[in-house]
Amino acid sequence: MSAPDRSVAPSSPTVKPLPPEAYLRMTFVLRAGLGLSLGILGAGIVAYLLLHPGASSSSVLTANPIAGYLSFGGLASGLASGSVEAFLTLGLVVLVATPVVRVVSGLYYFRRAGERTMVAITGVVIVLILVGVLVIGPYVR
Amino acid sequence: MVRLSVAVDLALFIGLLVLVAIAAGVVGSLTGLGGGVVVIPLLIVLFGASIPIAIGTGFVTILATSSATGAAYVRDRLSDLRIGMFLEIATVPGALIGATATVFLTHANLQSELLVALGVALFAIIPGSLARRNIELPPPLPPDARSRRMGLSGDYHDNALDQDVHYEGARTSPALGVMFGAGLVSGMFGIGAGVFKVLALERFLNLPMKISTATSNFMIGVTAAAGAGVMLSAGYVNPIIAAPVAIGTAFGAYLGSRVLPGLRNRTIRLMFLPVVAVLAIEVILRGLGLP
Repeated sequence: MSAPDRSVAPSSPTVKPLPPEAYLRMTFVLRAGLGLSLGILGAGIVAYLLLHPGASSSSVLTANPIAGYLSFGGLASGLASGSVEAFLTLGLVVLVATPVVRVVSGLYYFRRAGERTMVAITGVVIVLILVGVLVIGPYVR
Repeated sequence: MVRLSVAVDLALFIGLLVLVAIAAGVVGSLTGLGGGVVVIPLLIVLFGASIPIAIGTGFVTILATSSATGAAYVRDRLSDLRIGMFLEIATVPGALIGATATVFLTHANLQSELLVALGVALFAIIPGSLARRNIELPPPLPPDARSRRMGLSGDYHDNALDQDVHYEGARTSPALGVMFGAGLVSGMFGIGAGVFKVLALERFLNLPMKISTATSNFMIGVTAAAGAGVMLSAGYVNPIIAAPVAIGTAFGAYLGSRVLPGLRNRTIRLMFLPVVAVLAIEVILRGLGLP
C-alpha cells in the first residue's frame, strides 16, 4: 500500500510533548498494578477453592461472597482477620485503582510542565471516578 | 448452546472461564474493542450468569485488557497520553451515568429489557466497526483551535509501513460528543465501546489507525474504572467469576499486544465480527424470552 504524503509541516504546537520518563512511569504503574491485582486475585481464588471444597459453580453464580466487604470498615476488618473474600475484594480494588493511579501520575507530569488545562482535566476525571466509588455506588446498592 | 453452570464443579468452571477470557483478551487487544464484547454474552449464554454480574465482570475484563496492553502501547509510544486524557473528560461522566442506569434498571426488574439493549449495543458495534476507514494513515487535516492550543499532536514510527508518521488532532468538539456516548454505552453494558472511541479518534480527530487503536485501548481502562467503581461498590462484581476472567484476559491481551505493532490491523476485525453478531442475536433472543 502506498502511504499518503504525511510530510505536511507540523502546525507549530505550543505544548511540549511529555518527557520519556512519563511514559516509562505510566508503563510501570500499569504493569505493577496489574501484576499486584492479578497476584492477589489468583492466590485468592486458589485459597477459596481450598477453603470451600463444597462450593459449586451454581452457588457462586447466585451469591456474591464479597457482599460483606464493600465498605472500608468491612474490608479492613476482613483483611485483618485473614478472610479470603476480603483479599479477593482487595484484588478487585487494586485492579480498579490501577488506571486511576495512572491518571494521577499524568496529573503530576502535566502539573510539572505547567499545563493548567490538562491538570484541571485530569483532576476532574479523578474526582468523578472517586464520586462513582464513594458516593454513587454505595447510594444505589 | 450447552449450559455448563450447574453440571460442572467449581474448579472446572474457573478453568473454562480462564480459557474463554484468554480468547477474549487476544481479540479485545487486537481489535481495540476490549474483551467485554466476548466475555459478557458468553457469561450469560454459556455460563448462566445474571446480566448485572456479567456486566460487572465485563468491566474487570476491560480493566485487565487495558492495563496489560496499555502498558505495552505506552512503552512503544503508540498510545497518545495527552489525547487520551483530554477525551476522558467526556467518557468518564458517560460511564458513571451508564453504570448508574444499569443498577437502577436491575433494581426495577427490567433485566430482560437490559438484555435486549445489550444485544442491540453489541449489534451497533458491527456497522461501527465496518465504518472504520480502511487506511492506515488518513490524509492530513488542519487541526482546530482547541487541538492546536492543547498540543493534540504527535509522532511515531510505523513498523509495518517502515516510516515516521506525524499526526495532529482535528474536529475535537464532535469527538468529545462521540466519546460521551461511548462512555455511556461502556458504563451501561460493561463493554469497552472501543469501536466508538476508535471511530471518534479516526473519523473526527483524524488520527492514524494504530494510534487510534492504541489510544482507545489506553482510554477504556479509565472509562471502565468509573463504571467498575459504581458496580463494585454496588455489589455487582463477583470475584469468583471476575478473578479468573481478569487473569485470562490479561494473559490474552498481552499475547495480542505483542502481535499488534507488526500488523496492518485492517483485517483483524473481519475475523471477529461474525462472532459478535451470533452472540448479539443469542442475547436478544434471551431478553425476548425466546429459545
